[in-house]
Amino acid sequence: MRRTWETIRAGAWIGWQVEANWADPFLFAAFAIAKPLATTLILFLMTKLVSGGAVGAEAFHQLFIGNTFFLYVTEVLIGISWAVFRDREDYETLKYIYVAPIRFLPYLLGRGLTKIGTASIGVVFALAFGGLVLGVPIRHDVVTLARLLGVTLLGLIGVAWLGVALAGISLVVARHSINLNEGLGGVFYLLCGAVFPLDVLPAWAQRISLLLPFTYWLELLRRIVTGKPYSGILRGTDDGSLLLILAATTAATVVGGYFWFAWCERTARAKGLIDWKSNY
Amino acid sequence: MSGDRQDFGERVRMNLGAVTARASVRIVAAFRERSWLLGETLFPILSMATFVLVYRGLGAPRAFESFAVLGGAMIAYWNNVLWSMASQFFWEKEQGQLQLYLITPVSRMSILLGMALGGMLATTTRAIVILLAGIFLFHVPFPWERAPGALGLFLLTLGALYGLGMILSSVFFLWGREAWNTVTLFQEPVYLLSGFYFPVSALGTVAASVAGFIPITLGLDGIRQILFGEAAKGFIPVVWIVPIQAALLILYLLLAHRALLVMENLGKREGRLTIRGG
Repeated sequence: MRRTWETIRAGAWIGWQVEANWADPFLFAAFAIAKPLATTLILFLMTKLVSGGAVGAEAFHQLFIGNTFFLYVTEVLIGISWAVFRDREDYETLKYIYVAPIRFLPYLLGRGLTKIGTASIGVVFALAFGGLVLGVPIRHDVVTLARLLGVTLLGLIGVAWLGVALAGISLVVARHSINLNEGLGGVFYLLCGAVFPLDVLPAWAQRISLLLPFTYWLELLRRIVTGKPYSGILRGTDDGSLLLILAATTAATVVGGYFWFAWCERTARAKGLIDWKSNY
Repeated sequence: MSGDRQDFGERVRMNLGAVTARASVRIVAAFRERSWLLGETLFPILSMATFVLVYRGLGAPRAFESFAVLGGAMIAYWNNVLWSMASQFFWEKEQGQLQLYLITPVSRMSILLGMALGGMLATTTRAIVILLAGIFLFHVPFPWERAPGALGLFLLTLGALYGLGMILSSVFFLWGREAWNTVTLFQEPVYLLSGFYFPVSALGTVAASVAGFIPITLGLDGIRQILFGEAAKGFIPVVWIVPIQAALLILYLLLAHRALLVMENLGKREGRLTIRGG
């Protein structure tokens, strides 16, 4: 257990060096907040244009919350699988991790922790910007903050383990895995209704949406932060049921992710893909 | 005198050859790697679809959905400029090929021009697919009869945009790992500043004017005005946009030529042109 924790810590430290040591702290902070700030302002201006200036509209608040927390999905989900690709293809260090007396999975989870940390900078900044500058009413009493933290962590467990599952795919797939991961990020952004109500999706897409843990996660977060439901098709589901569904889908993601990754790792080792060089 | 003329002719022939060669590599590469083809088309479609649905969710007029589709198509060019033009010398350095470019007796501008022309052609196939996906999958309105009028401004915009890409490539000449992060930094903020998904006039006069230095900003604004008239909520009249874009094209080409010389010399002095994994 101690060895596992040390590996996670080492993975997180290496991840931090890879992510952050190319720039001074100010530039790195600008990098971390640029994306969430830009997408927030894009949505703000779109809503402002359509509503003729009534930017305090509830619609924007809901878009804002969904878009802000979805940053965790893009950063952590893609970040974990990207770590496999970069370590294997760019830095060519993956093989050295395998010859060290550590397991790769805790190392990968450590890399995921770094991404959670860097994404959190963007999320916290965006929430503060939304609350202070754009006037989004963000409830911040102790109970709300505790619920927000709990649901965020629960969702992050699911995001991280889905990232582990994608990292498994990256182990057995050549350079194309990057497109797959980034494409999946886009598909999730579209299907879980991060920035629009699920009701505008066609019926077949709504059915897929209801299978995704992020759909329930974002709906719960919206209800906690704004106190109001958003998605029409989830209006009949109370908060407790949403939490239960989120917990169940998260547990399924963890178990599925663990076994899937183990299978991919075995396959990659058996086929000699650990030091594969498929990039150019 | 005759020797000078022959020398000049030889240089022109060699540089034209470099343009053609670099453009052909770009076009062939763009279609050979199928996963890139998919990624460069699918990601902008997903993104464009999301913003179309945002407008639909907000109950916006249909023309706004068309703005998002046009912006989605233009994003393909901006991403091409960033990833395959501006940062190209960084990739070449990583692969150990930059020095091969530098020892050839051709102008760096010819290499970049070939890269730009090849990139434009290859990206146009992606942009067309994105545009058609918006029109046929989401049934957004598109006034085809006004498209020829918008084409001239579109081509002028592309020229100025790739001129900016040439300037950026000179900066990326020297950068190492930070190039990757800087390119990422130029994505979403420019989506905001250039009004890819909304009329840029919404930014306000000062911000939109500054954003006008990115050629896509005014180009997209003008194209939307030509296609959708008043509904486009234009920032400045189209008759002003055309000369501004032409001026940007000339200015950026001149600046790119100068910047390339300066950065190459600086790189040689600091010994950073051949450093990998920096």
